[in-house]
Amino acid sequence: MTDEPTAHSSTPLSSTPGHLAPDDVGLVTPLDFVLPRPFTFKHGQPLDGLTLRYETYGTLNATRDNAVLICHALSGNHHAAGWHSPTDKKPGWWNNLIGPGKAVDTRRFFVICANVPGGCSGSTGPSSTNPATGEPYGLRFPALTILDMVRAQKLLLDHLGVAELHTVIGGSMGGMTALLFAIEFPNFTRRLLAMATTAREGAQAIAFNEVGRQAIMQDPGWNNGDYPPNGGPRVGLAIARMMAHITYLSDASMDRKFGRRTIQSRAQSPQLSAELAPGDASPSAAAADFNLQFEVESYLRHQGQTFINRFDANSYLYITRALDQFDLDHAYGSLEQAFAPVLAESLIVGFTSDWLFPPEQNRQIAQALLRAGKRTSYAELSTDLGHDSFLLESEELYALIRGFLERTPPATTTDFAI
Amino acid sequence: MTPPVEKRTVDMQIIADWVEPHTRVLDLGCGRGELLDFLIQSKQVSALGVDLDFDQISACVRRGVPAYQGDMIACMAAFPARHFDRVICSRTVQELTAPAVVIAEALRVARSVTVGFVNHAFWKNRLDLLTRGRKAQNAVYTTTWAESRPANPVSVADFEDFCATHSIRITRRVHLDGDWKSPCPMLPNLLAGYALYDLTK
Repeated sequence: MTDEPTAHSSTPLSSTPGHLAPDDVGLVTPLDFVLPRPFTFKHGQPLDGLTLRYETYGTLNATRDNAVLICHALSGNHHAAGWHSPTDKKPGWWNNLIGPGKAVDTRRFFVICANVPGGCSGSTGPSSTNPATGEPYGLRFPALTILDMVRAQKLLLDHLGVAELHTVIGGSMGGMTALLFAIEFPNFTRRLLAMATTAREGAQAIAFNEVGRQAIMQDPGWNNGDYPPNGGPRVGLAIARMMAHITYLSDASMDRKFGRRTIQSRAQSPQLSAELAPGDASPSAAAADFNLQFEVESYLRHQGQTFINRFDANSYLYITRALDQFDLDHAYGSLEQAFAPVLAESLIVGFTSDWLFPPEQNRQIAQALLRAGKRTSYAELSTDLGHDSFLLESEELYALIRGFLERTPPATTTDFAI
Repeated sequence: MTPPVEKRTVDMQIIADWVEPHTRVLDLGCGRGELLDFLIQSKQVSALGVDLDFDQISACVRRGVPAYQGDMIACMAAFPARHFDRVICSRTVQELTAPAVVIAEALRVARSVTVGFVNHAFWKNRLDLLTRGRKAQNAVYTTTWAESRPANPVSVADFEDFCATHSIRITRRVHLDGDWKSPCPMLPNLLAGYALYDLTK
């Protein structure tokens, strides 16, 4: 996903700092949970001292059943809402959704978001130091799956004293995590909200992941995953991000944002490191010009540049591979069998212009849940913003999510078994 | 004249009488989920609504009625035969471009299909056209032709003919007067304002 709001961010009329807004969770501090026992990954490899970095907003109630778990996407992290410091330029990535009085109302819910294992924002991942060697794990980090993300986060929730999850919410990879949470911990998960996601990573999505990985692995800086902190395949990672970023948008949204507008002067273009602008030199009059010409080029370079300063290339390899291997049909025999244990009430949301995980793939999830006899709704929002639409600032989407979360469950339990 | 909103509840009562408790019900064109909400409360059904509109689905979700946004034929195609006990098609058939396909598919995914519709051959509509020579406009047909959606009005006679020629068995029928409350004992194609049918294959 992108790291900026997809819609026109509402500019506050007053000069009130964002963290002081009445519907903002305000300043937040990330916390670390170190697993007390070795964590065994799905493929059998154990890891000592696995750490999950997380944030919480709101308060766990006395019955410990008002917890909402937010699952982040490929490039996301635990910082879903609020601000780390008053001088932050941007709040958490889902700040428009989470806060006092917002769709995920922190006056009502205890909201938790953790960086996934294998990530690079504070949770243990390939860039963390291997205590056995004193060096980063690199490719010695255990093979990672979505199931590992689910199991590790469940241990965190147990540690926090959560008796049951009111709702698990996620978009994109977070949607996969949420689906798997409801499957693996059916008695623990009361409601499931998955958006812009898939039950089975398709060939097109795997193909894009592979191009990203190749960009990283063909960069000499990658060096089989052994590189110093702040070093590594910076160009490869930036190119992977530039390419992936395109898959999060849409033809219409890019054309609206950039059109064919050109860079008028060098001063307008973002400061790029030389490694990302190899062709940028003063062209001679007759020579072909491969310098920055279009705004969209400048935007993508900026995205790549920002990304390499906050993301680890090996984490990118591990997490995209985990996405590729996500296939509920295959893992459980069929999608209906996968969903058979689910006890949660589900809401699946697709977005018309999402071509990475198109509406059809979201519909298939809803249909399989329904065939398995589960209480399920499917909604499809018309937007032209592509895959990142799930982060959209949309009153319609907020109303849907709020309606799903806040409705009091019916007193009578109906038997939905086939 | 009673406003259409209240008329809707009449149809709801009769449908609720026909629905067996604890059954699986699919409502085609569920709108904001009022009927299914009523059936969940009164008959403890496991319900699913289908509608094309995001806001209608959002309203269903808000009141706890499971609902699926999409085309009703495509939605039904995702289910095996007899997955539901009953499909309800209340005041929806007149909006369909291919009613025969929808009813056939409904009869595949459910044992019974309930269809409720406004009888377009009701005498007032006939009189309207005969005397005024204009599209009917009243509490049921509230719009002028220019504001109207493409509609596919149906009469009691049309519907009975359709069932006969498609070998669809009518297990129950209710014809209501122009007030949509009192029974209409005779000449339903002329005198009934509203008709309800329970079908099976």
